[in-house]
Amino acid sequence: MAADVHKKKSWEVPNGSLAPGDGQHAERSESPTPGLAQGTEPGAGQEGAMFVHTRSYEDLTSPEDGAAAARSPEERRGEPAEQSSMEQISKDFSELSTQLTGMALDLDEEMRAGKEGKLEPSPQTARRDSVLSGKEEEDVTMDAWRSHRKHVFVLSEAGKPVYSRYGSEEALSSTMGVMMALVSFLEAEKNAIRSIHADGYKVVFVRRSPLVLVAVARTRQSEQEIAHELLYIYYQILSLLTWTQLNHIFQQKQNYDLRRLLAGSERITDNLLDLMAHDPSFLMGAVRCLPLAASVRDAVSSSLQQAKAKSLVFSILLSGNQLVSLVRKKDQFLHPIDLHLLFNLISSSSSFREGEAWTPICLPKFNSSGFFHAHISYLEQEMDLCLLLVSTDREDFFTVSDCKRRFQERLRRRGVQHALHEALRTPFYSVAQVGIPDLRHFIYKSKSSGLFTSPEIEAPYVQEEEKERLLGLYQYLHSRAHNSSRPLKNIYFTGPRENLLAWVTNAFELYVCYSPLGTKAGAINAVNKLMKWIRKEEDRLFILTPQTY
Amino acid sequence: MSQSAMSETYDFLFKFLVIGNAGTGKSCLLHQFIEKKFKDDSNHTIGVEFGSKIINVGGKYVKLQIWDTAGQERFRSVTRSYYRGAAGALLVYDITSRETYNALTNWLTDARMLASQNIVIILCGNKKDLDADREVTFLEASRFAQENELMFLETSALTGENVEEAFVQCARKILNKIESGELDPERMGSGIQYGDAALRQLRSPRRAQAQSAQECGC
Ligand SMILES: Nc1nc2c(ncn2[C@@H]2O[C@H](COP(=O)(O)OP(=O)(O)O)[C@@H](O)[C@H]2O)c(=O)[nH]1
Ligand SMILES: [Mg+2]
Repeated sequence: MAADVHKKKSWEVPNGSLAPGDGQHAERSESPTPGLAQGTEPGAGQEGAMFVHTRSYEDLTSPEDGAAAARSPEERRGEPAEQSSMEQISKDFSELSTQLTGMALDLDEEMRAGKEGKLEPSPQTARRDSVLSGKEEEDVTMDAWRSHRKHVFVLSEAGKPVYSRYGSEEALSSTMGVMMALVSFLEAEKNAIRSIHADGYKVVFVRRSPLVLVAVARTRQSEQEIAHELLYIYYQILSLLTWTQLNHIFQQKQNYDLRRLLAGSERITDNLLDLMAHDPSFLMGAVRCLPLAASVRDAVSSSLQQAKAKSLVFSILLSGNQLVSLVRKKDQFLHPIDLHLLFNLISSSSSFREGEAWTPICLPKFNSSGFFHAHISYLEQEMDLCLLLVSTDREDFFTVSDCKRRFQERLRRRGVQHALHEALRTPFYSVAQVGIPDLRHFIYKSKSSGLFTSPEIEAPYVQEEEKERLLGLYQYLHSRAHNSSRPLKNIYFTGPRENLLAWVTNAFELYVCYSPLGTKAGAINAVNKLMKWIRKEEDRLFILTPQTY
Repeated sequence: MSQSAMSETYDFLFKFLVIGNAGTGKSCLLHQFIEKKFKDDSNHTIGVEFGSKIINVGGKYVKLQIWDTAGQERFRSVTRSYYRGAAGALLVYDITSRETYNALTNWLTDARMLASQNIVIILCGNKKDLDADREVTFLEASRFAQENELMFLETSALTGENVEEAFVQCARKILNKIESGELDPERMGSGIQYGDAALRQLRSPRRAQAQSAQECGC
C-alpha cells in the first residue's frame, strides 16, 4: 500500500531531523479514512512542515544524538499498515472497551482517593510568587509539602542539589542523599530511566549526565510520561546553559554548585512544570495554532517573511501559548520541544511586556552546543502578541530590532491589524461549533505538521481541578496508546462522568471526550463527523503554508 | 517605549549600561526614567533589556540608549560584551543590602577591565525610600565613590527621587569631556555617536555605515 511505503520512507530519514519530503502533495481526502497517509491528514502542511519531524515523546526519550533517534523502536517497525476500515475499528473498540471499563473504574477510584488525600486545594498556586526573595521557603516537614502531587528534584551526579520544586534545596539535601544512593544503585546506562513504585507513589529517575532528575509523583501518569516531563526540565536547563557549558563545568569541578549559574531561573522551571500540568501541547509533543482566517495568517506570515535579516533563523509570532506564525530559514527546522521552551520562557516572565529584551538562548533540540540570541518584545502593550526573533549574532541587536519595526510597518500597510485584534479576542473556539451534541472536547494532532488543535475546555470542566482531571484522562489514554510494550491504537473508555475515545494512526492522533450518556456506536459516528469538520476548518486551525525567508 | 528612529533629532547618542547585583532595582530605575512610573511587578531580567530616551542636557539633545542587564552570573558573559561600547554606566546597589554593596568591587573590576578607559560611571544607592532598613550609610558609600572616581547619588526607583538626575549627571559629565576634548566621539568603542542634528554640520562615516547596515535585507 502506498501509504505504507511513504510512511517507511519518512521515518527512515538519516538523522530523523528532516520533515517529510515527497508525498506531501497526495490528494487530501474529503472524508478522512483510517488509511490516511501521513502528510495528507487534516492539518498537514501543503508545502512541507515547519518542524522537525517528531513522534511525540518517543522522540524525547531517545538519546539526544540524531543517530539514535533514527533507530526505530519495535512498536514502529512492527506496525501494520493503517488499512483497517471503520468496521475494523469499531470491532477493535468493542473488544477493548470491556477491558478498559474495568480499568476506568479502577482509575476513577484512585483519582477520587487521591483527591481526598490532598490537603491543599491547589498545589500549583501557593508558591514562589515573590520575586526578590526567590521563593517562600516551605518547611519540608510540613504536611503540605508531602501532599504536593508531584515533586521534582534535579541534582548533580555528585549529589548536589540543583533544583527542587517545593521547599528549599538546602533542607532537602538529606532526601537528595538518599536518592543519590538509589541512583548509584540503579546505575547502569548513562541515559537510563528507572522507576520505583511504592505505596501509591512512583519515583522516576532520569539520568542525563552530569545531571540526575527525579520525580516523586502521586499522579496517574505513566512512568514514561513522568520521564517525559523530567526531560523537559532537563532541556529547560540546557536552554539556559547549553549542553557544552554544562558538561564543561562539571568536568572542571565535579561538585560544582550549579544553583549559582541557575539563580533567578527557578521561576522559569516552576512555570514549565505548571504549564505541563495544564497545557496538552507538552503531552502531544505538538504546537497549537491561534485560530485565524488563512488570508490574515498569510498576510502576517509574509510580513514576517519580508522583515528578514541575514542573521535571523526563526521569526515567531505567538499569542499566549498558541502559534500565530512561524517563518524559518530555508532548511532549518525548529523542534516543537524548542518552541515549547520558548513559549515557557515568555510566559514565565512579565518583564518582556515592556521594551525589548535580547537574551542568549540555547535551543537544545536544534543545537545543544551553542546559544542563539533572541529578540523578544510585545507588539503592543495591551495586545497578547509576542514577537520572537531568533538570531545567530549577538552583535545584531539593532538590525533585528529594526526587523520588528519593519514587520509592524508591513502589518499596518496590509491592514490586517484589525483582523488580528479580532482573532485575539477569541483565541479559542467552542466545541459547539462542531455540532455534535455529545461531544465535550477533543485533541487532534496532525503528525506530519507537528500541529494540533483543540477547542476551549468548557463545562463541566470549569474548576481548575476538573480541567486537570480531564487532562489526566487524556494523559492516561495517551500513555495507553503509546505504551512501549503494548501500544493500543483504538481505545474506548467509559467512565461515570465521561466517555473517551483515543485513536492513533501513523498520520494523526485523536482524543475525544463525550458526555457519559452516549453510546460507543454514537462515539464512533461522531469521530467521522469530527474529522470532516476538522478537514473543513483546517486552514483556520492549522498553518498549512509555512514560509521560509 | 520604542520610538521610531526615523523622526528624531538629537545632537549625540550615548550608550549607557545599568549594572549591579540582581534585585537592586536596575530595571525599575530604567522604567522610572523612561516611563516616569514605578514598575511594581518587576521580574528578573533575562539577558539584557533595551530602552531609549532623549534628554536635554544644557541645551543639547542627547539620546540615551540604555542596556539594562541581568545581574545573574549566568549572564555575566553577555553583560561583559556590552561594556566595550558603553559611554556611561549606572552601577547600582541596594542600600538595604550590604551584600549588593560588597559586590561593587567585582562589578568595578569588570568595568575597568572591559570598558573603555573613559567610561563615566555613576554609583547609585537605590531604594533610598527604605531608610529604616538601611545597611549601607551614605557616608561610607560616598567615600567608596571618591576612592574609585565615581559620581554618587542615592536614588529611589519607587518615588522617582534622583532617578532622572542620575542619568542626566552622567550624560552631562560625558558632554563636558567631549567639549574639553578629553573624549573623542569618533574613536572606536567610545559609545558615542553624533545625532542627525549634529550630522548636518559634521558627516560621520561611521554613522552612515550603521544606517546602510540597517537597510540591508529589506
Ligand atoms: N522600596 C523600593 N523597592 C524597589 C526600588 N527599586 C526596585 N525595588 C524593588 O526591588 C525589586 C527588584 O527590582 P528590579 O528592578 O527587578 O531589580 P534588578 O534585578 O536590579 O533589575 C523589585 O521587587 C522592586 O519592586 C526602590 O527604589 N524602592
Ligand atoms: Mg532587572
